[in-house]
Amino acid sequence: MKHTVDVNIPLGPVHPCFKEPARVKCETKGERVIAAEVELGYMKKGIERIMKGRPWQEVMFLAERVCGICSVIHNMVFIEAIEQVSGISVPPRAAYLRVVANELDRMQSHLLANFSYCYTIEHETLGMYLLDLREQVMDLLERLTGARVTCAYIIPGGVRFDIHVEDRAFMLESLARIENDLVRYAGMFESGPMIALRSRGIGILTPEAAERAHAVGPTARGSGIAVDRRTEHPTYRKLGFTPMVRNSCDNYARIMVRFDEVFQSIRLIRACLNDLPAGIIRGGGTCSAGTTRYSGEAPRGELTYSITTDEYGRIAEIQIQTPSIMNIEACCHEMIIGVDSVADVTSTFVSADPCIACTER
Amino acid sequence: MSILQTIKDKVRSRSIHVAYVDVGSCNGCDIEVLACLAPRYDIEQYGIFVHNNPREADVLLVIGAYTHGWEEKLGPLWEKIPEPKAAIAIGNCPISGCCFNRRGSYVDPPVSKHIPIAAEVPGCPPRPTEILNAILSVRDAVFANWEENHS
Repeated sequence: MKHTVDVNIPLGPVHPCFKEPARVKCETKGERVIAAEVELGYMKKGIERIMKGRPWQEVMFLAERVCGICSVIHNMVFIEAIEQVSGISVPPRAAYLRVVANELDRMQSHLLANFSYCYTIEHETLGMYLLDLREQVMDLLERLTGARVTCAYIIPGGVRFDIHVEDRAFMLESLARIENDLVRYAGMFESGPMIALRSRGIGILTPEAAERAHAVGPTARGSGIAVDRRTEHPTYRKLGFTPMVRNSCDNYARIMVRFDEVFQSIRLIRACLNDLPAGIIRGGGTCSAGTTRYSGEAPRGELTYSITTDEYGRIAEIQIQTPSIMNIEACCHEMIIGVDSVADVTSTFVSADPCIACTER
Repeated sequence: MSILQTIKDKVRSRSIHVAYVDVGSCNGCDIEVLACLAPRYDIEQYGIFVHNNPREADVLLVIGAYTHGWEEKLGPLWEKIPEPKAAIAIGNCPISGCCFNRRGSYVDPPVSKHIPIAAEVPGCPPRPTEILNAILSVRDAVFANWEENHS
């Protein structure tokens, strides 16, 4: 950073707008930010080191605790990697229930991310509406899996619990209510003139820059890049999944992509529940030795697990690649540069939905 | 009890300012603390305000298993909070390290080694109502009669 700067402004690690500790160091000239750097290292727990040499039964729970917000997808990707190594097949009913749990998790994660953004741009009313909606989604998740966060629902060969008939009816009814409310809230965001002043044209991430920084998830999809690992998942393919894309490349596009994806998740869950196949929810199988690399789409982007197991089902080697690290890089090297005021730094940073716990593990 | 103390107790019981600090958790407890803000739990009806500013806080919620990055930061942060103050450990991580407290990890639990902890809320993660309950019980146990107890 060899610019002539006026002031060097550090934001964080304890900051009213950040859920998690991270320090954003901005070099400013007047109000314009000319360079930014994100300093991490407050959350490093060494979780991959703990995982090595442990049986999958233990690593399954540790994998969930890589990230508490997107715990279902960490569970799902790890278990599907184990299944790929061992050649275990999943009963169709269980495959559909996995999609339901995963999409409920995505809904609550996106609603939380949009709440954080609304809170950061000081639109607390809309933020509280979204947080209230998120509680209703958490209720559904709790009904299905038995826990709000870190539910360990997905296990090799299937899922842990079946869905009851009355729960299914409750879920469909509740989803209709959530969708109804969300149409109103998304409309408030879409047409709010004050929100547009704080969001449109701020934190521009051009498609070329997004490709250069390897942005993933809603950050890339807000820049017009249709990248989504769910298009390669067999169950999602059966449901006719297509990624949601917006083209305006700013904070507004990223938040609207998340709103679009919540609506899409509601449609996917409804499709799953309406033609839920009958049958068992848990097949059998033995975890065996092998090496594989498996990816899934977390709420923040592509999540990859590379694992090597031994013949007893223990994890010999494991590498986790989480989406937030790429989005944080895209954020500090492309999006924050050139924002017009320091107040927009936090909102731009939050619009990429960085998850520091995922990033540092 | 003096009249001044009665007035202070009365005022303090409806104005608890909360800061939260994440010293290396999985984010699960963070979002449960955040869920306390939701209209369903409505933390502000008890006079509890979440600011995340240590200099005006009364209660510090500590989340996470204490990683090495916080060694020179958590102590000064605790010093910045004006008296009377109390720290609450949220979740299993600050109490015991939970699943991260294994050989080879970079955590150093419990947090009570580093700053004094007034209350502990176990759970992985605890429910928002439990967190709310802990803040309210700390209010009665620590802040009531504080001047007369510490004179």
